[in-house]
Amino acid sequence: MNQTDKPIANPIVVLREEFDDWAVLFNPDTADAMGTNPVGVAVWKRMDGKRSLEDIASEIRNSFEDTPDAASKEIADFVNTLAENGFAGLELESK
Amino acid sequence: MPEELKDKIESTASKVMRTPRSLDIEITARCNLRCRYCYFFNNPAVEYRDLPTDEWLKFFDELGSLGVMNVTLAGGEPFIRKDLPILLEGIARNRMRFSFLSNGALIDDEIAAFIARTGRCEHVQVSVDGSCAEVHDSCRGQGSFDGAIRGIRTLQRHRIGVAVRVTIHRSNVNDLDNIAHFLLEELGLPNFGTNSAGYMGTCCVNADDLLLNIEERKEAMVTLLRLTANNNGRISADAGPLADGRMWRRMEEARVQNEPAFHNGGRLTACGCPSNKISVRADGAIVPCNMLAHVKLGRINHDSLAEIWKNSPALNQLRNRYTIPLTGFEFCAGCSYIPYCTGNCPGLAYTLTGMVDHPSPDACLRRFLEEGGAVV
Ligand code: SF4
Ligand code: SF4
Repeated sequence: MNQTDKPIANPIVVLREEFDDWAVLFNPDTADAMGTNPVGVAVWKRMDGKRSLEDIASEIRNSFEDTPDAASKEIADFVNTLAENGFAGLELESK
Repeated sequence: MPEELKDKIESTASKVMRTPRSLDIEITARCNLRCRYCYFFNNPAVEYRDLPTDEWLKFFDELGSLGVMNVTLAGGEPFIRKDLPILLEGIARNRMRFSFLSNGALIDDEIAAFIARTGRCEHVQVSVDGSCAEVHDSCRGQGSFDGAIRGIRTLQRHRIGVAVRVTIHRSNVNDLDNIAHFLLEELGLPNFGTNSAGYMGTCCVNADDLLLNIEERKEAMVTLLRLTANNNGRISADAGPLADGRMWRRMEEARVQNEPAFHNGGRLTACGCPSNKISVRADGAIVPCNMLAHVKLGRINHDSLAEIWKNSPALNQLRNRYTIPLTGFEFCAGCSYIPYCTGNCPGLAYTLTGMVDHPSPDACLRRFLEEGGAVV
């Protein structure tokens, strides 16, 4: 089976929205934690294995004012960082 | 905790996060020992009774829904609970990590193996107060040293992180060199922490025999500062002679050099805990901290923790303690350390003066010097 480009959040990871402008993703199995901002939170909440990166980026552009042109790349980088740290994976293609 | 997250907590000290990050939970009011300096027992404000398993499991579900990251299980002695595996499963199911404060004696292979399998244990802190049974048992009771060491070795066999805490009092202050050697060399621990017996709970009854006098305090500071320097900083302290020794050195240097005020100086800032953690007593009472067990904020499974966290007047009053200037206290009148002083632990301030919003005389540098102490 191949990987799709549909990111999926690791269900063990806890999202703590601590302040209006700050949240923490915490993996209780590894004790790893990562800080993020409201855009990261919005991305995280959309990583359901059904939306593609581009779907997520376009939803983010629609929900946040003044999203920069580079948003798609930044979102892809964020998801990559999550994947590298075991916070997320990519959904597998079902045949 | 990553540095980035610590910085965030510090930079937002005046803001309150939506839910606590961690909780200190006294999971039981029972203990196999009766240590002579125990802060937990003999507190007239506390009801000593245990809650059934279901109550804790329900509460852990609430913590999970609030995104709490860690719980520290204390007591009494947490390993006395026969339902501990069920409780730990409840914590793990709610995506939290846990640690313990223990006397070590009840830790056996079975529970250690269980803990190791969860993969969620930060560490087990075991109290060791002497390099040998004679010293350790003098305050903690016969057989307690062997129990603690057996517990530590069991944890080590199961590769569970062990943190050791040494509580310094009059009977072990002369054993510190031996204790450091025993813990760092013989037991092979990477480090250990220290504090000292404080005027709380059972210790108040035995204060004269236990609390360090000025000379002993000075001696403990000198010894611990030397030991930690000689052991690459492997001895730590948040309170007690080592913490005081370090803080008082900085305060004295600042005063002599006429340095600008410390960022947390001149006000009652010592306690940052209420901005990121909260505690629960064994009877289910929610309190700001185990050291302030008389300040009841509500009850688990009866009051919403999130609501207490955000809106409890008593908790918010404690959080605002940092706005109270030391210049307003008769106790501090004319003190040249004011710009560098944090007013120290509110729990000890309460037991020693009857007031939470007061500097604690216990860690007052001026008083220590007036009574014959010295900055070492
Ligand atoms: S100090 Fe700890 S081990 Fe000793 S009696 Fe108190 S709760 Fe028990
Ligand atoms: S009198 Fe004591 S508590 Fe008050 S500022 Fe001076 S050193 Fe601090």
